[in-house]
Amino acid sequence: MPQVMVVARNFMDMVAALPAGKLDMLYDSAFICEAVLRSLPPLAKKYALQMLYVLAPVTAAAMEEWVLDEYAAKHKVAIDKLLQLRVFVEVRDRRRDVSYKMNQKFQGNMQKYLVDGGSLPREPLPLSVTGRLPTPADLEAYALDQWECFLLQLINSSQVEKGSSFSSSMMKTFQRGLLSSRDGEASKLTENGFQFLLMETNAQLWYIMREYISSAEERGVDPTELISFLLELSFHKLGAAYSLNTLTDVQRIAIRDLAELGLVKQQQGRKDSWFIPTQLATNLSASLSDSSSNKEGFVVVETNFRMYAYSTSKLHCEILRLFARVEYQLPNLIVGAVTKESIYGAFENGITAEQIISFLRQNAHPRVADKIPAVPENVTDQIRLWETDLNRVEMIPSHLYEDFPSKEWFEQCCDYARDNGYLLWEDPKRMRLIVRGEFHPEMREFLRRQR
Amino acid sequence: MAGGDGDRHRAPKRHKSSTPSKAALVDESAEFDYADDFDDDAHDADTEVKKRDFTKLELKVDHASRPLWACADGRIFLETFSPLYKQAYDFLIAIAEPVCRPESMHEYNLTPHSLYAAVSVGLETSTIISVLSKLSKTKLPREIIDFIHGSTANYGKVKLVLKKNRYFVESPFPEVLSTLLRDEVISRARISPEDSLGAPSFTVSKTSGQIASGHEDLLNGMEIAAATEDKETHSFEIDPSQVENVKQRCLPNALNYPMLEEYDFRNDTVNPDLDMELKPQARPRPYQEKSLSKMFGNGRARSGIIVLPCGAGKSLVGVSAACRIKKSCLCLATNAVSVDQWAFQFKLWSTIKDENISRFTSDNKEKFTGMAGVVVTTYNMVAFGGKRSEDSEKIIEEIRNREWGLLLMDEVHVVPAHMFRKVISITKSHCKLGLTATLVREDERITDLNFLIGPKLYEANWLDLVKGGFIANVQCAEVWCPMTKEFFAEYLKKENSKKKQVLYVMNPNKFRACEFLIRFHEQQRGDKIIVFADNLFALTTYAMKLRKPMIFGATSHAERTRILYQFKNSPEVNTIFLSKVGDNSIDIPEANVIIQISSHAGSRRQEAQRLGRILRAKGKHQDRMAGGKEEYNAFFYSLVSTDTQEMYYSTKRQQFLIDQGYSFKVITSLPPAEEGPNLSYYTLDEQLELLSMALNAGDDMIGVERLEEDSDGKALIRARRSAGSMSAFSGAGGMVYMEYSTGKGKGVQKKHKDPSKRHHLFKKRYA
Repeated sequence: MPQVMVVARNFMDMVAALPAGKLDMLYDSAFICEAVLRSLPPLAKKYALQMLYVLAPVTAAAMEEWVLDEYAAKHKVAIDKLLQLRVFVEVRDRRRDVSYKMNQKFQGNMQKYLVDGGSLPREPLPLSVTGRLPTPADLEAYALDQWECFLLQLINSSQVEKGSSFSSSMMKTFQRGLLSSRDGEASKLTENGFQFLLMETNAQLWYIMREYISSAEERGVDPTELISFLLELSFHKLGAAYSLNTLTDVQRIAIRDLAELGLVKQQQGRKDSWFIPTQLATNLSASLSDSSSNKEGFVVVETNFRMYAYSTSKLHCEILRLFARVEYQLPNLIVGAVTKESIYGAFENGITAEQIISFLRQNAHPRVADKIPAVPENVTDQIRLWETDLNRVEMIPSHLYEDFPSKEWFEQCCDYARDNGYLLWEDPKRMRLIVRGEFHPEMREFLRRQR
Repeated sequence: MAGGDGDRHRAPKRHKSSTPSKAALVDESAEFDYADDFDDDAHDADTEVKKRDFTKLELKVDHASRPLWACADGRIFLETFSPLYKQAYDFLIAIAEPVCRPESMHEYNLTPHSLYAAVSVGLETSTIISVLSKLSKTKLPREIIDFIHGSTANYGKVKLVLKKNRYFVESPFPEVLSTLLRDEVISRARISPEDSLGAPSFTVSKTSGQIASGHEDLLNGMEIAAATEDKETHSFEIDPSQVENVKQRCLPNALNYPMLEEYDFRNDTVNPDLDMELKPQARPRPYQEKSLSKMFGNGRARSGIIVLPCGAGKSLVGVSAACRIKKSCLCLATNAVSVDQWAFQFKLWSTIKDENISRFTSDNKEKFTGMAGVVVTTYNMVAFGGKRSEDSEKIIEEIRNREWGLLLMDEVHVVPAHMFRKVISITKSHCKLGLTATLVREDERITDLNFLIGPKLYEANWLDLVKGGFIANVQCAEVWCPMTKEFFAEYLKKENSKKKQVLYVMNPNKFRACEFLIRFHEQQRGDKIIVFADNLFALTTYAMKLRKPMIFGATSHAERTRILYQFKNSPEVNTIFLSKVGDNSIDIPEANVIIQISSHAGSRRQEAQRLGRILRAKGKHQDRMAGGKEEYNAFFYSLVSTDTQEMYYSTKRQQFLIDQGYSFKVITSLPPAEEGPNLSYYTLDEQLELLSMALNAGDDMIGVERLEEDSDGKALIRARRSAGSMSAFSGAGGMVYMEYSTGKGKGVQKKHKDPSKRHHLFKKRYA
C-alpha cells in the first residue's frame, strides 16, 4: 500500500490515486507504461530499469544497499513513488521480511517494448487523404482562440462573437465548481470561478482536465479508459492527422470535448474525418512545475492607478474587468483604472487582494517586469488596505439589557459583566448595557439573585 | 501703427459648419475630467464603456515604432518609452490638454481651447493633422480630423489691436467683421467714429501707401513690388470695458473667430523703450527657453499662460519676457511680500536701473523716473474700487493712462475672475503673460482665462523636470492616523457637525505622528520643516505645544521677516508652522520637508502649491538627475485622520499630483509603538483635556483663516467689525469658565470601588 497520500497535482498523482485493480488494467497499454516510466524521479527510474528482468522479489534490505547511507531519504521517496504507482508490488515471505517485485504487466510490456521497439498508438493519415494540414502557427492560434472562447463563455459575456455552444458534458464540468445555476436564472461564476480566471493557463487547463476525469463516472464513462486515452494523446505527433475511425465511442466523445477546449482540431475530408493534436494536448503529461509555456506579460500599472494592457484579446479585457474599470478599448491597447469600487466588486466575487496583485505581477509587461516592484507599491498597498477595510467589522452574538430599576443595580450588573470579561458596551446615562451572548444565562442568574 | 500687419495675409480656409459635432465633442471631453471620477455610477460607466470601444480602428503595419493612439473622442495615449517621445510630447503639449502624465503612459485630451492654443503658436491645421497622423499607431478617425478642422479653420482672421490706448478689432475681411457685428454683445461694445454720418462703416487704411512714403529707403525691390498692391485693413473700435466680452464671444465655442492678439514690439515706435537686458549669469534652462519660444514665436509677443511647477524658475521666465519686449511692464502679484520678491527678481536677473523700477503697495508708493519702467503691484491695489489716498490716486491714474508693453500676472490660478476683469479694464497692455504652477481650479473656470489672458502657451511635465534635476525629487506619503475613541465619539455626534474639522485635526494620534516626524527629520536628517495648518486653532495649539514659531495672516511683517530669517540661517530654528498664508506667498528656499495637518477641503490646487514649496532643487545637480546618488531629497507628508471626511478630501486633493506622476505612499504605523511615552498626549487624561479644549473653542477660533487682502492705505484706517463669542468678549478666550466632567477615564476608577466601602454620606448621594 502507498505510504504517502498525495494530493493530485499532475496526471501521475491522479493515476496513483486509482484503485489497484484499475491501475493494473491501465498497464495493459504499453504507452501508459512508457509514460509512467518517463514521469518517475531519476532514482525511481533507475530502480525500475534495474528490476526490468529480475523475476524474483528483492528484499528491502538488499535494495537499501544500492545507495549510500546519506541518500536514504531519496531512496525512500523513490520506493514510495514506485509503490504508489504499483510499478513495484510489496510481498512478504514466511519470515515477514519485506520484499519488492515488479508489477508483472508493467514488466512484461516494458520487456516487449525493449525487444520490439516503440510504436505509435496509431499511424497518422497520409497527406494524400488529408490534403494540406494547418501549420504549427495556425494550430497554436487555433488552440489559443478556442481556449479563450471557452473562458469567455465561462465569463458569460455578451461580447462573445463566436456563436459556439459547449456540449452538455463540458457544461457539467463547469457546474462542478465554477458556475452556479438555479431554475430560471442565468449561470454565473462562483467564487471559485472568479479565482479560476486569474489562474495561469496551465493551472487552468489542469483544473479542467481533473474535473473532466473526476466527473467521468457520472457520464457513464470509465475514468481508466479516459486517463489511458489522454496519456496516449501526449504520444501523438504535434500537427499530424489521425483518423477518427480508429477510436472507440468513448474516445470519440472525448475528442469532441477536447476540440472545444483547443487541445485538438477536428477536420473532415470527403470520406474520412480526423483530429490533429495541438500544443495543449502534448503538454498534458507535463506537471505544473514543468510548464514550458511562458507567455509574455501585457499589463502596465501606473502610480496613479491607471492600467494599460497591451493586448488584442477580448478575454484579457474581460479578465481585467473583474477588478478594474475598463475605460478604453483600442486595437492593441486596453486602458483601465484600479478603483475602490472595482476592487470591491472583485472582493464581492470572492477574489482576494493577493490574487489580484499576483495576477498583475505575473502578467507585468516586459518593460516593467524587471522593475522592483513591477506593480507600484502604492497600488499594491492600497489594494491590500481596501481589503483590510472590509474585515474591520466583526459580529458578536450579544444581549442588550435596559430598563434597570435603579442606578445602583445597573452599576452592579456592569461590574459583574466587566469582572467576568463579557462586557461589550455600556451607556451609563440611559442605563443600558450589552454583554456577549454566551454570558446571558449567568447574567440572568445574577439578576435573579439580586432581586 | 504696426507696419507689419498688412503682411499677414492668408488664403481663406474652407469653413466647415460642424457646430453640433463640436458641441458633442466638447461634452464628451468634459466627461473625462478627473474631478468627475468621484461621481461615477455604474450605469454611466457602462454607457461610457460602449462609447469608448475603439477596437475597430485600423492598426498601422509599423504601429510598434509609432508613439501614440488617438481616439475618436479626442483622447490621446502617448508611450513615454518610444524613441519619438520627446518630439511627440512637445507636439502634444502644444495641441492637447494633459490629463495625466505618469511614468510609462501619458493621457491627453484634444479640446477646442487646446487647438486654439496650438494655432496661436503658429501651428497650422494641415500641420496638426499630418503630424498627428504620422505619430499615431492607428489611422486617424474621421471625427478627429473634422474636429481639428472645425476648431482651427477661423484662426488668424480677426485681430485685436491696441493703438494709442484704444482697442480696435481688425481684419482684412470686411465680411468677417460684419459677421461679428451681427452679434449683439459685439455690436453693443462698438464705439462708432464721431464723424459718422449715420451709416456705420469701417475704418479703411491703405498700408501700402504709408509704407511707401514712410520707409522708402528700407524696402528692397521685391518688397516695393509687393507693397504696391492695394491692401486694405478694416477695423472698428470697441469699448475698453467690453474687450473681455468681445474676446469671449469670438472663442471657438461661440462665433469661432478666435482673436489674434500679438504685439509687434520691435516695430512699436510710439511707446518708449526701456533699457533692460538679461544679465550674463541669467541663463534660462532648456524648458524655460522653450516656454519663451512659445511666446515669441514669430518675432512677436503672444498673450497667454505659461505653466511651470514651483521651484522651476517662473520668475526668470517673466523677467526674460520683459527684457525681450523692452517696453514698460506692469507686474501683478498676489500680495506685498510677492511684490518685494518680484522687484528683487527684476534687479537680480536684469540690468534695469533702480530708478526704473517701482513698487506700489499699501506700504510702498514709489514712482519710476523716465519715460518707461517697471511697476510691481498687487491685483488688489489696481482693482481696489474705494477711496484712495492722494498719492495712490496719482499712481493709479498713471497706470491707467499708460500703454503697457507687457502685463505680467503671477499666480493667475488664485485670482478671482472678477478681479481679472477689473484689472484688464483699468489697464491697457499689448501683451499679457500669466504665470502659474497649477492651472486647475475647483470651480472649473479655467476656460475664463482663455479670453481674459490668452491660451496656455506651455506646460512643463513635472516628472521630466525631476529627472533632469531641475526640481527636487519628492517622496510623498499619506500618514493614516486612527481617531482615538473619545475624539471619534464626539465626531459622530450630530451637535458637533460644525466642529468636525477641529476634531479630526486635533486627533491626538495625528499630533503624535506630527511630533514624531518633526523629531525624526530634525534630529536624524537635519532637515528644514514646514508644517501647514489652515485651521487656526490647530495651528496655535500645535505650534505652542511643540514650541515652534508660527506665521499666519495676522502676523506682522516684521515678525514674519524675523522668523523666516531665523529659519533660513539659524540651526536652532528648523521647523515653522504656517497657515495658508504660506501656500504661495512666502519664499522659503531652504525647506525640504512639508507636513500637512489641516487643509482646505478638497482643493487640488492647494495640495500642488504646498508641494511646490519644497520643489526648489537643492544640492549638486548631478546627484539630483535620474540615477543620481540621492533617491529622494524632499518629503511631503499629509496627515489624515482615518474614517473621517478628511479621508475623502485627501484623496481628492492629491489627484492633480498623482496625475503629474507622483505617488502617495500610505503609512499606517506612525509613530512607532516604542516611541509612545516620549511623545505628547500619551495618557488618556491629556487627550481628554485636549478634547475639552477643542469642544469649548469658540466658533471663530475653529474656523478657517480669512486672509486680509492688501488694499490702499486709506481703507486700512477704517475700523473693522467682526463677530465674536461672549466668552471672548469677557476676556476668557484663553480659559474656559464652564464646569465640565473629566470624562470616562476617572469614572472607570470609581467603578472598581466597592460600594459597601463608601462612607455613608457619599453612599446616600448615589442611592
